[in-house]
Amino acid sequence: MSDCDALVIGGGVSGLTAAAYLARAGLRVIVAEVRNKLGGACESIPFGESFHAPLTQTLYALDPRMVKELKLNLKFAVRDMALAGLRADGKHIVFSRDGAARSIAVHSQADAKAWKRFRRELFSLARDMRALWWEEGTLSVSHERLEPFRRLSAAAFLDSWFESDALKATLAFDATETGLSLFEPGSALPLLWRASQEMCGLQGAVAAFAGGPQSLVQALLEATKVDIRTGASVSRILIAGGAVAGAELVSGETITAPIVISSAARRRTLNELLPTGAIGFARADSMDRALAQTGTAKVVLALSALPMFGGVPTTGRFVLAERLESYAAAHSAARAGRLPDELILEATTPTAADSSLAPIGQHLLIASVRPVPLAMNDETKARLAVKVIAAFTRHVPGMHVVASEVLTPEEISSRYGAQDSKMNIAQTLASWDERLRTPISGLMLCGENVVCGRAGRIAAAMAIRDKT
Amino acid sequence: MLRYDVGVIGAGADGLAAAATLAAAGLKTIVIERSTVTGGRAQTREFHPGFRASPFTDELVAIPREIHWALDLTRRGAIFAPMPSMAVWPDRRHILQPLREAEMRRRGVLARANEAAATPPPRFRFLRRASHTPWPCEDWVDASLADVLGEGDEAAHRIAAALAGRTADPYLAGSALHLLAENNSGMVLGGLARLSSALTNAARDAGAEFSLGLEASDIRSHKHRVTGIGLADGTEISARAIISTLDLKRTFLSLFPWSALPPPLVKHAGLWRMGGGTARVLLALEKAPDAPRCAIHVAPDAKAFAQAHAAWRAGLIPAAPPATLRLVSAADPGLAPIGSATMAVTLGAIPFRLFDGAWTHEKRDALRGLALAAAESVLPGVSASVLAAEVITPPDIEEALGATEGDLWGGEIASDQILGLRPGPRTEMTGLYLGGPSSAAGPLGTCAAGVAAARAVLADFRRLT
Repeated sequence: MSDCDALVIGGGVSGLTAAAYLARAGLRVIVAEVRNKLGGACESIPFGESFHAPLTQTLYALDPRMVKELKLNLKFAVRDMALAGLRADGKHIVFSRDGAARSIAVHSQADAKAWKRFRRELFSLARDMRALWWEEGTLSVSHERLEPFRRLSAAAFLDSWFESDALKATLAFDATETGLSLFEPGSALPLLWRASQEMCGLQGAVAAFAGGPQSLVQALLEATKVDIRTGASVSRILIAGGAVAGAELVSGETITAPIVISSAARRRTLNELLPTGAIGFARADSMDRALAQTGTAKVVLALSALPMFGGVPTTGRFVLAERLESYAAAHSAARAGRLPDELILEATTPTAADSSLAPIGQHLLIASVRPVPLAMNDETKARLAVKVIAAFTRHVPGMHVVASEVLTPEEISSRYGAQDSKMNIAQTLASWDERLRTPISGLMLCGENVVCGRAGRIAAAMAIRDKT
Repeated sequence: MLRYDVGVIGAGADGLAAAATLAAAGLKTIVIERSTVTGGRAQTREFHPGFRASPFTDELVAIPREIHWALDLTRRGAIFAPMPSMAVWPDRRHILQPLREAEMRRRGVLARANEAAATPPPRFRFLRRASHTPWPCEDWVDASLADVLGEGDEAAHRIAAALAGRTADPYLAGSALHLLAENNSGMVLGGLARLSSALTNAARDAGAEFSLGLEASDIRSHKHRVTGIGLADGTEISARAIISTLDLKRTFLSLFPWSALPPPLVKHAGLWRMGGGTARVLLALEKAPDAPRCAIHVAPDAKAFAQAHAAWRAGLIPAAPPATLRLVSAADPGLAPIGSATMAVTLGAIPFRLFDGAWTHEKRDALRGLALAAAESVLPGVSASVLAAEVITPPDIEEALGATEGDLWGGEIASDQILGLRPGPRTEMTGLYLGGPSSAAGPLGTCAAGVAAARAVLADFRRLT
């Protein structure tokens, strides 16, 4: 008799979602979380006295069916965040759902005209990709339509549509998510991936929860009753006869279970938790090589006033990047272990829409800077903070920074368990079967590219189906 | 009006091989060349009294064996002397190795390109769309040089050999494709001009005609079907098929009125990215240095390639561009007076367009300085015996050869611009064939694209009447 029907490793959104679905199907579930808190990358960074700086500022891929099926009680602070590019010359560009063309026309008439067709074509292809990315189906889009995305770099893709740097450089930020350079093939795929998601019924929208992403974790916990063990670090996954048998904790305790769903990164699960050679050496080696060489750093600034950028909605997200070439320079500098001369970043001011995150009258500005080197020493961290502040004071003279905090990619992955790994073309276009199943029967992954529990939902469904 | 079956634009290796193939098959063929000599990049000239060198490149991508035999090049005087590749670091470490890794793959891709050229596409559009057979080597599309070759000195050496004269970031996906387009033909004894004369003789013997010294100024067309070539002096040559050995951009954007082309084609040609990044410094050395008969890659380092590439993208001359030295007179003593030597330095990652304006004399001098520094670092004392130096920048190459942005490979070698995604030999303009470096076989073998285009013309010729 095993301890439970299913063991879920990791108590982040993916893990909790998987647990919730398993519990809904009547299984006895144990969730083992290393830390003493749940939420993983959705946690808040302890900062100042009463600041709650969310580690994940924006959400764009919550599966609408998850909200319905688990009856999640969620409130949104912003439903559709506008994307804005802050330009050195002050001509900021704002991509709001209705007014984008007008803002683009300031930079280029031709681009304003192309914008509508661009959105239409991208969104229509993205909807067709849902058969692969939302359901458990296979690729059904014709070769001709997808081929450009498979082979094109994001830079070439954007160049083929638009001429103005302001537009291209701002849109390009979303393509850097997978850790690829914008000049690498496959880097256009993240744009398609984001366009295929929807939030609050709006395709391609980016939203923020009231109370920060922590409220999603809360909602998940309320929606499901499972046995959660915090402070339980899994040291290895047990295998018996080619099938998974459970896991052993660092404390020496073993939890036996016929199903194990791991929300740890693929590489950690397969290379570190499984016995050496369990999945074959070639595969293990290829995963070690795919590790990202650059990452995303978070810079949190506590401000005494809400920063206003001319004509830009404060509830949006702001991208600072001058040209596509800036991305190339930043990427090569970051890989060489240096801080880029020109930082590329996306920032939000979450307190503009949600005052619960900071003391009254004070505000937060959170910047995701990427690409940057994975590890930074204290001096580099300080330099990074100074550079970020300088980049914003250029637009808001007299911006008063009360406090600042820098989290390097390495710190984020060691503290919150979110690991950066490169997603290449094949991985992005892989079916869920290939992404989540492992060579070990009964062992599933659900930490692959954390997209608000989508992987957790599907992994749970697969595990339940396999069992019956 | 002069009437021909086929007009070939450009008398480079591709054009000459195409003309030879077509004329041998009995078609009335004319080759139109702007310069008064044939050969294109395969030329050799005196740059200082007594010192000769091939200004644009020392080695070519190897000529596919069957083309070499079919044109009987050896008997016509094109004899290749193998040029091993060597990496030398300033601390005297060095690696010598023959590089034949990518050779098999290259043959596979060439065979596929030829197959595509020899079979005319189905007449109906829907049939064309249904068939997608993958190209060999598609697994390299998202592989980087570092993925394929690994880390370390040996890998750095092979990266240097693959990239010599070009630029790419060896850590970025898609850079592995550069292995297919490596210049590894070896040197032609007597200089590359010998190869041109061999090819010219092959074409002439087969019965092809030549029109030298007059530029093809435009291609005439009617309803997306080409009818003839207009020359700079106003003559018109009518031809049923035209093979352009110029690159994609130059062929469509400068030889046609844009209104005569289908709009998607204009867009495609406009978006086509050029790579290149080749600069050359020819040195006349008073005293022959004690250097081996090799292509010497100076202190190759994968990280330095990545940095140089980033500089190239930003329009900067890299602080330490990848450099390859060839003591061409060691392989071929005829190129320098006895006791002296001719050295050619090939620099990579040199931008065509500099961010701060034109290529001035100071910048050319800086380039010569970089080349000398590279040479000095592995052959100490060499700069003291320099008698003369000639600097050839990317704009010079564009000017001399008509290669857009000085890119001798007809377009950046990137995953969306290679294998099946290179255009040609057939184009949307009926009767126009691309036989230059921009077409599928272009970067993979000297003469290969020209011959592939000629085969396509032969396969389609009955339809063109």
